[in-house]
This record gives sequence, C-alpha cells and structure tokens, in this order.
Amino acid sequence: MDLETYKKSWGNQQLENTSVDIYKMSRSKSSSIVKWIFIIGVLELIFWTSLNFMVPQKYLEFYKDFKVMELIKVSTYVHYVVILVFLVLFYKNYNSISITDNTRRLMNRILSVRKTVKYYVYYNLGGIVLSNAVLIFILLGQPKDLIKAMNADGLNMEANEVITIFIVTSVLMVLVMLTIIWLFYRFTYGRLLKKLNKNYKELDNLENLN
Amino acid sequence: MQKDLESKFLQDFEQNQNIVHKICRIYTTNKDAHNDLFQEVVIQLWKNYSKFRGDSKFSTWMYRVALNTAISLYRKSTRTITTQDIDDFSYKIQSIEYDDTEELQLKALYKAIRQLNDIDKALIFLYLEDKPYKEISETLGITEVNARVKMNRAKDKLKNILNP
Repeated sequence: MDLETYKKSWGNQQLENTSVDIYKMSRSKSSSIVKWIFIIGVLELIFWTSLNFMVPQKYLEFYKDFKVMELIKVSTYVHYVVILVFLVLFYKNYNSISITDNTRRLMNRILSVRKTVKYYVYYNLGGIVLSNAVLIFILLGQPKDLIKAMNADGLNMEANEVITIFIVTSVLMVLVMLTIIWLFYRFTYGRLLKKLNKNYKELDNLENLN
Repeated sequence: MQKDLESKFLQDFEQNQNIVHKICRIYTTNKDAHNDLFQEVVIQLWKNYSKFRGDSKFSTWMYRVALNTAISLYRKSTRTITTQDIDDFSYKIQSIEYDDTEELQLKALYKAIRQLNDIDKALIFLYLEDKPYKEISETLGITEVNARVKMNRAKDKLKNILNP
C-alpha cells in the first residue's frame, strides 16, 4: 500500500483532548536529561573542588623538609584559577541550552555541558597523577630525608622498600580513583546519555553525507 | 501580565495539543510513558513560552519544542510500570462515514513508526504532518539536501515494515 494512503488516514485522525489540568501540569517539576546533567555536573564540580580542601595540613607538613612548599603554593593558585575557568565554562554552556534551538544544536549544547565536566574531572585526575609524579621525582632525589620522613617510627626498613611502598601506594590510589570514576560514569552519564549520543550520531552521520 | 500570558498559553496549547499527543504516541509504547512525556513537553512549552515571539506560528514552535523534548530531553521515568499497551487506545477517525479500514491503517502506521529510530520517527512525523523540507531541515538542524536523502531512507524503512 502506498504511503500516501496512510498519510490520508493520519490526517483524518482525531485525538481526544486531554482531561488533565494543563495549568497544573505546566508548573510541575521537569525530569529532563538536562536537569540531571546539571545536578550531577554541579555535584561533581563540588566533589572535585572540595577534595582540594580536604587534604589535611599534616599531609603537607610531610613535604616541609623537601623544600617543595613554594611549588605546592604556586600550583595551588594556578589550580584555583583553572577551577574558576571551568565554573564559568560550565555555567555558560548550561545557559546556552535552549529547547527552541534546532535538534542538532540542542543536542550539541547538552553534550558540551557534559564535556566541560568530563574535562574538569580529567584535569583533576591529570593533576593528581602529575603532582604525584613530580613529588615522587623530587623525593627520590632526597632518599635519606624520604626514609626519615616515611619511617618516622624508626622501624628497620631498607631504603628501597620504603621507596617501593611510596610508589605502589601512589599508583594504587590513582587506580582506585579511576575505577570509582569509571563505575560512576557508567551508571550516571552512560545511562543518561545513551539515547542522546545515539541520536546525535544519527544526525551527524547524516550531515557527513555531503 | 502573567495572567494574560497564562491564558494566552492555555488557549494556544488547547488549539494545538493534538501535535503533542501524536508525538507522544510515536515516541512511547505505553500509557504511563505517554503521560510522562506529555507532561514534560507541557513543562518545556510553558517554561519557554515567554520567549516565544510570534515570529513563527505557535504550532511550528510547538513542533520544535515537542520533538526536541522527545528526542533529546526525555528519559523514561524509572517509576513507570508498563501496564497498558498503547494499542489499547482508541484511534478515532474524523470522518462523516465511519470506515474501520482507516482505523486499522492508522493502527498499523503507529506500530510501524514505533519501530524506527528516534530521528526517522521525527522525519516521518513531519512528512505525515505535511511539513515542507525547509521547515523539516530547520527543525532538525540539517541541510535540506540531507533532509531529503534521510527522508527517502526513512520512508523506505517504513514501507518495508508496513509491507514486508
């Protein structure tokens, strides 16, 4: 049968008007993807930013003997500036989402908000890996002080042992964080954005035809 | 002022709500999900109504917001319990002489459209609503040429489902 015949039936359909209270309905809370992306994004930004403030002062004192305090101070200031830049980007991208845009642009903007948060998390992870690597490198350059600091109780341990423990602990910490983040993403963004990503690809493939 | 806007919105919505119902019908498979999506579209329409400047027709604007909600914003509510299949809905045909062939055709059509992907659904919907390619390409944000290419493919897919 021709599609035109179906089109005619389509044109003749009459749907019953809804009996629900539109006025009341229009004031209820949205449960859209954008709302969840925003909430999760804000929570992530808060989590990663607060991690920086949760490092106990005692932990920093450990590094006092290694003459790296200046470096830690400067990198902390740079870090605050970067946080601010990310917050502005997040807000700007979120604000630019408009349901009255065309479908392609709308999807693009929703995905940009998600990307901003993703890059923020990458930045933080990268920062952790890099700062640990730099610190390990510096500490290894002063092995005597390191053993003294790590082995404050005066236990009978070899220098190599202490250094190995230090490296293994640092690597494990990053691995655990990566696993937690991966699991978190699978269960939040993975589920939330599966449909959107699929639809975006569908439209994008279409655009690449030309 | 706010009261005027509200009554204007309700009036505009009342006249065009069929558009939203049809979109909800092709994008959902049961009554609960249908109502859920319908509510989300209403929320989005009202939230953005103050920005509607009347450059285009209200219905054109509504197509865009409703389709965008179905394609990009809506996520199935986890509370939704599948109880009633959408086919249990009655499809009323506006016709002087009642003829159940059209009703059956409509049923088959809805069933077939639901098997398409979200973008093809939107394309076929806009075709059935008799929208020109210019409007289709502007709504989806693709070029007119691409809209035509994709539309032909979507129509072929639909034909294959309808006439296997």
